[in-house]
Amino acid sequence: METLSYPACSYLKNSQKEFLISTTNGGQSMLQIIIPFFYFPKIVPGRFFFSGSTDSNSQSDRRFKMILWSIIGGTRGGVNRAKILNTISETPMNANKIATVLNLDHKTVIHHVKILSKNNLVVKAEKNYAAEFELTKIMKDNQNVLEEIIQKIAK
Amino acid sequence: MIDFMLAAVISAFINIGLLLVTIATYVQNMIVIRSYYTSGLVLVAALLMIQNVVIVLFWSTLYMDDKALMMSADMVSHYLFAINFIQTIGLSVLVWITRR
Repeated sequence: METLSYPACSYLKNSQKEFLISTTNGGQSMLQIIIPFFYFPKIVPGRFFFSGSTDSNSQSDRRFKMILWSIIGGTRGGVNRAKILNTISETPMNANKIATVLNLDHKTVIHHVKILSKNNLVVKAEKNYAAEFELTKIMKDNQNVLEEIIQKIAK
Repeated sequence: MIDFMLAAVISAFINIGLLLVTIATYVQNMIVIRSYYTSGLVLVAALLMIQNVVIVLFWSTLYMDDKALMMSADMVSHYLFAINFIQTIGLSVLVWITRR
């Protein structure tokens, strides 16, 4: 049973291994045919989002990076959105204050914050009047991605 | 009877218009943020633009001048229309997202 010691099989259940070994194709074990497909994501780690790899943090980082880049780099008001995220990254602010700090129109800030909120990047504080906006947990966890983009804007 | 070839070309013209809007937005972003991502977006949109320009050029030159080619192309024109129309829908959604 040489195939059972194959490193790519480590995350398969015993029943799955037995099924794969018992299913033969002209003398060749089905496992030997399928293994290269299972093994490929391990050869090229980080390239397959749903590969079953244990490195889940780097995968979510990559996905988040893609989302943030598309919201900032692929839309008309993306640059202003990046500036808003950067402004409220340290201290939560209300729309009026953000508009003053960034020298933007109040309505523009409201529009951008609405889009950012819909994409789960900022969240409104509980109080309703002059509500302050702050970064969501996922955004805080991936602030390095935002810093990377901000550095490119500053260049 | 619907002239699918003409409909496909009209669809290609709409695609060119939508791609112009998209490219304009992407270039504006690329000027501010120089990165692989923003450059890649411009490149992809430019390639799609070339594809649609080629369709229009094919229609205005080869198709209109060559009767034999016109008959052959007419046989598959509904497929060409379907491809272009689906692209028009996709690009419309992209422009809507990009300009928000």
